[in-house]
Amino acid sequence: MAPLSKEKQTLFLLVVGLLAWLVPGAGHFVLRQQKRSMIIFATIVLTFCIGIYIGSIGVIDLYGSTPWYVVGAQVMNTPMVLVLGRLTAGEAYPVFGWPNEIGQIYTSTAGLLNLLCIVNAVYMAHLRGIKVPGG
Amino acid sequence: MFLKAIFIIATFIEPEKFGANPQSMLWLLPLVAAIAIIYKATKLPVIKAGNFIKEAAILFGSIVIFIVIAALTLHALAWLISG
Repeated sequence: MAPLSKEKQTLFLLVVGLLAWLVPGAGHFVLRQQKRSMIIFATIVLTFCIGIYIGSIGVIDLYGSTPWYVVGAQVMNTPMVLVLGRLTAGEAYPVFGWPNEIGQIYTSTAGLLNLLCIVNAVYMAHLRGIKVPGG
Repeated sequence: MFLKAIFIIATFIEPEKFGANPQSMLWLLPLVAAIAIIYKATKLPVIKAGNFIKEAAILFGSIVIFIVIAALTLHALAWLISG
């Protein structure tokens, strides 16, 4: 297989990163790492779901008093979190105390784990791009 | 079917009710498992079921043991300071 041009390689890395953000594990899936992508998808989605099960969708509080770093970490799960954020705007689903904290910890940790997977998928795509046939 | 869907959705719009008690510390276990699984999924060069489970279990155990040691150390320190 002929190596991609620099522009195509950059575009490919961007596509892999974007896909990995859109759907957890999708970045590895396009790199034909099916087992890895299934494990990542199941684990990230389950961790995120446990978070919103404990604290309700109210833990996604994009426009409230939640610190920016928690919101940023939650958004790293998938852009769908922004849609959930619009649903919960204006204290529509209030949640306080321990369930709120545990829910925020779970959803933001799931997001940070997905960020790790996005970086890993882009790095794997980069390594694949610089690999010279027979080298 | 529709009723089932409503019940499932309802579990995600009402928070669980529990306080800060010793049992609630067990919520850290699924999180540690998720961290161990994702870390090993990104680090292992080849994913094989047996090896993957073994590696993830070792990491899970290591993290939990470290947390327990840290908790015991802090508890002993607090006991020494407060008498």
